[in-house]
Amino acid sequence: MIARRLDEIVCASLLWLFGVAASSAAAAPPLPVAPVSAAPAEDGQWTMPAKNFASTRYSALDQIKASNVKSLGLAFTFSTGVARGQEAAPIIVGDTMYVVTPYPNYLYALDLKNGGQLKWRYAPKPVPAAQGVACCDYVNRGVFYEGGRVFMNTLDGQTIAVDAASGKEIWKARLANINLGESITMAPLVVKGKVLVGVSGGEFGVRGWLAALDAASGKLAWRAYHTGPDKDVLIGKDFKPFYAMDRGRNLGVKSWPPDAWKIGGGTVWGWISYDPALDLIYYGTGNPGPWNPEQRPGDNKWTDGIFARDPDTGAAHWFYHVIPHDLYDHDTINELILLDIPMGGRMRKVMVRPERTGYLYVIDRASGQVLSADPFYEHINAYKGVNLQTGRLVTVADKEPKMGKVVRDICPTAPGAKDWNPSAFSPRTGLIYIPHMNLCMDWQSTQVSYISGTPYIGANVRMKAGPGGYRGELTAWDVMRRRPAFKIKEDLPLFSGALATGGDLVFYGTLDGWFKAIDARTGKLLWRFKTGSGIIGQPVSYRGPDGRQYIAVLSGVGGWAGAIVSANLDPTDPTAAKGFAGAVPDLKQRTAPGGTLYVFALPGR
Amino acid sequence: MRRPPLLIAALLLGGCSGEQSALDPAGVHSGAVLNLFGLFFWVCLIAFALVIGFLVIAMLQARRVDAARSERSEHDAIASRLLRGWIVFIIAGLLVLTLGSYFTDRNLALAAPDTGQSNRVPIRIKLTGQQWWWQVEYEDPNASQQIRTANELHLPVGVPVHIRLESIDVIHSFWVPNLAGKQDMIPGRHNDIELLPTRAGHYRSQCAEFCGLQHAHMALDVVIEPMADWLKWRAQSLQPAKAPATAEEKAGYAYFMEHQCSACHSIAGTPAFGTVGPDLTHFASRPSIGAGTVPNTRGHLEAWIADPQGMKEGNHMPYLAVPPDKLHALGAYLRSLS
Amino acid sequence: MCSRSLAGSAVMAMLLLSACQREQRESRGQPLAETAPTFVQLPSVLIAGSQPAPADPRGKLYEGNAYHISEGQRLFEQFNCSGCHAHGGGDIGPPLMDDEWRYGGQSDQIVASIAYGWPNGMPSFADKLTEQQMWQIAAYVRSMSGNVPKDVASSRADELASTPPLTRTPQQPIKGEPGGGLQGVAP
Repeated sequence: MIARRLDEIVCASLLWLFGVAASSAAAAPPLPVAPVSAAPAEDGQWTMPAKNFASTRYSALDQIKASNVKSLGLAFTFSTGVARGQEAAPIIVGDTMYVVTPYPNYLYALDLKNGGQLKWRYAPKPVPAAQGVACCDYVNRGVFYEGGRVFMNTLDGQTIAVDAASGKEIWKARLANINLGESITMAPLVVKGKVLVGVSGGEFGVRGWLAALDAASGKLAWRAYHTGPDKDVLIGKDFKPFYAMDRGRNLGVKSWPPDAWKIGGGTVWGWISYDPALDLIYYGTGNPGPWNPEQRPGDNKWTDGIFARDPDTGAAHWFYHVIPHDLYDHDTINELILLDIPMGGRMRKVMVRPERTGYLYVIDRASGQVLSADPFYEHINAYKGVNLQTGRLVTVADKEPKMGKVVRDICPTAPGAKDWNPSAFSPRTGLIYIPHMNLCMDWQSTQVSYISGTPYIGANVRMKAGPGGYRGELTAWDVMRRRPAFKIKEDLPLFSGALATGGDLVFYGTLDGWFKAIDARTGKLLWRFKTGSGIIGQPVSYRGPDGRQYIAVLSGVGGWAGAIVSANLDPTDPTAAKGFAGAVPDLKQRTAPGGTLYVFALPGR
Repeated sequence: MRRPPLLIAALLLGGCSGEQSALDPAGVHSGAVLNLFGLFFWVCLIAFALVIGFLVIAMLQARRVDAARSERSEHDAIASRLLRGWIVFIIAGLLVLTLGSYFTDRNLALAAPDTGQSNRVPIRIKLTGQQWWWQVEYEDPNASQQIRTANELHLPVGVPVHIRLESIDVIHSFWVPNLAGKQDMIPGRHNDIELLPTRAGHYRSQCAEFCGLQHAHMALDVVIEPMADWLKWRAQSLQPAKAPATAEEKAGYAYFMEHQCSACHSIAGTPAFGTVGPDLTHFASRPSIGAGTVPNTRGHLEAWIADPQGMKEGNHMPYLAVPPDKLHALGAYLRSLS
Repeated sequence: MCSRSLAGSAVMAMLLLSACQREQRESRGQPLAETAPTFVQLPSVLIAGSQPAPADPRGKLYEGNAYHISEGQRLFEQFNCSGCHAHGGGDIGPPLMDDEWRYGGQSDQIVASIAYGWPNGMPSFADKLTEQQMWQIAAYVRSMSGNVPKDVASSRADELASTPPLTRTPQQPIKGEPGGGLQGVAP
């Protein structure tokens, strides 16, 4: 009797101890979560390049996991017929996959029930001369599906709504003028019945803007410019910037020399996120023009900053000037991942962005306050950091470009520590997987004239590998602990997007064509496949009609990083491709142009 | 008999004043230099006069070879006293010159010369030398209040001016004789020079470092005016260019924007944003064309547009073959840009 | 003695004469724009019913002149050619320092490209550059592929060192025909 009682006591104590141990293990720092309104539950589709409005690029599908990914094999391939930089994300809705190509911007619909057979092709026939005003290859970053329509942009500045079932054009709107150097490369975002489209051309002296078209008719609802008087920038009574440096009237004119704002840049060619709860769209603007900063003294608003706007009217709610008076073509158009972070005992609504400058910003998305800006790139020498009181980025005087003088070894380089290629967030690990680069540059500013339709740059740039000699890196950033969890060095710069999955895997591609899967917690390489050409696209994951999980990615080198291959440039001149040829002179020996879709799955059936 | 010397004196002295004369200071720095020049001149003149005097006396004395021994020893005593005095004079003179030079240099190097006006906020100008013209930018903490012009400097009396000198091609040198000394403009680095005008007037600056074929025709018009007039000029310069009014001016405007002109020149408020050539926003109020090559008159302007190479060979404005009817229209438009 | 000094002066004379063409500076463009023939060089090798026309003689004139090539170098930067073509390596536009030419690599064909533009993105500069400036730029472009005499090519550019010096660029004759025939290379 006593022995049994003793057993019970020991048993209970052991259970109690285990319980304590278990609960303390569960009391690890809480993880950030994407807001449910912006990141709805997984449905096995991938209807927009960012996966959802919070831009997590996370698929909760977990059929493919660390234990079985080594058997991942090709399910089918599809040749797009265009051998230029493939930056798009394949879009999957139901049983159809939509793939858009670089110029001439073909839109393909593939039947997933039939092994990826082509259902229809839509050819928008953009004007060929648009190729002359595309700074960084003729890329297109993807399409958007909503309400039975696929919305796409073309290089020559049109936005088109195509019927998803038949491939017939529903409406077409011309938004940009190539004779002003304007083109469109971004993926549209459809929010509350409005198609949001921004212009490219910061290297051509374009006056940047973001436009909203009515999704049903294609009529222009509003257009917000990013330089010039407040009424053009749609700054009104709702505008409440957090920092003093962003407050004032008509700063889009006052912070420029007379007339320079008309050719001032501030394009929108990257990513837009949307918070349905706060009803705000968030996006960043591009570099000011020209690259030569001495020709545009002043803070150069509203280039290189983040706007929060009302999607219905375009009215600006707040703006944070990430880089006043940009010195290095550090466009601030990267993805903004919307997260709710436990901070100070409550959940704080933030946006997280690995910035071109090498800092990872955590910004309050209601007010625009910068909560932290820690370097995810360890070799920054052009900046000292962000002053969190004033919000201002602190530059280094020795590394400022000067006309007629070559400033050497500026890190990070002009495409930045990380360019447009988007990172992914995993709610299971709490890490952001950032594919980025380690490059430095020599820069000499020159005087430049604005001749519309020709580049308005004013800088001779030559890039090279950064300290350490490795040119690319994947950093897994722990949002809560504010430091990298692990880093993977790559020989070539990483210019592809990342994909995080529920099977605790992260997928990304290299510039010479390797498509890789790594363990999301440790970074160990678990699987890789050599595709036909370098990968600069955005990998996606979906559930096919047969219930299996698929991973799809476009393979085709190009973009700014791969221009030396896709445009067949000459590496004898290291300033080719605005200096990138100096960073990857060996790329022609490692890969060739291509344009093929690869879809992978586990063997089955 | 009196007139020739007076005439000669007048002619000689006439070379001292003028629009490009270091002997006619209109600014504090050139005034200091002229003072030093004066010091050197008088000290050296006295020394020169003494030397000539002694030479003449010696030559005259030498005739009297048969002077008595006692006289000679007297002369020797006088001579040695004179010699000692001369040595003292030399040392004193050199000391005076050295100190004068040192203090003048020191004054010139000081950021705010001691004139009692140094508590005024200085005007900051960035001057960029190009072959063969001057780009002038008036800087301002408020970026939209910057003035960009070419080949002319407008300054108010009594306000210190900091000029940052740069060059984008070869070495030039900035020299306004009436205001200050020379300072080189070297590509890849910047030099600075201070000016403090004290007298109104029109002066001429000349590039002082050989910079190519048209180095001789690289002048700058410097206009010093009272503060009220200068503020008026500044307000006018901040305005965008006047829109063309008459039909001829409109035709000239259209030709300017559609053809080669707008690729090289800029006019604020129009689609012309070129930086290869001078800014023309307020061209009509400029005293000269081509950086001081010819005066800015109708005839010279149209001749310049018709054949810039004939007026300033080798300059970077090409021979354009402008049709004759468009030539008058262009001239009319440019003359309207006051 | 007499023959030696005669030989010496003959050599001197030859040297001086050969330098004449290289160093001459025509500031207005010779012949004058109003009277010059307009360039009509077609880029294709295949001309129905005829043979390709001989190259415009102005090409050799500009390519043999150091002043024109250095002016071409200045204009190449100032008119944003380097914005699309870098310093010969290419970027938005194709490389100009190799032996492959889409629209022809002779001076007159390059002038035609600059003046008319091409449908795939080369802008037309007809109203923005004078004809003489186009010939100067064409001569400079030819020097990028080593197709001008070595003593005429620009020995340096006062800017960030990019390509090796143009005076040492090995000659890359237009692909297909040595000595500068007509050629276009796909795509």
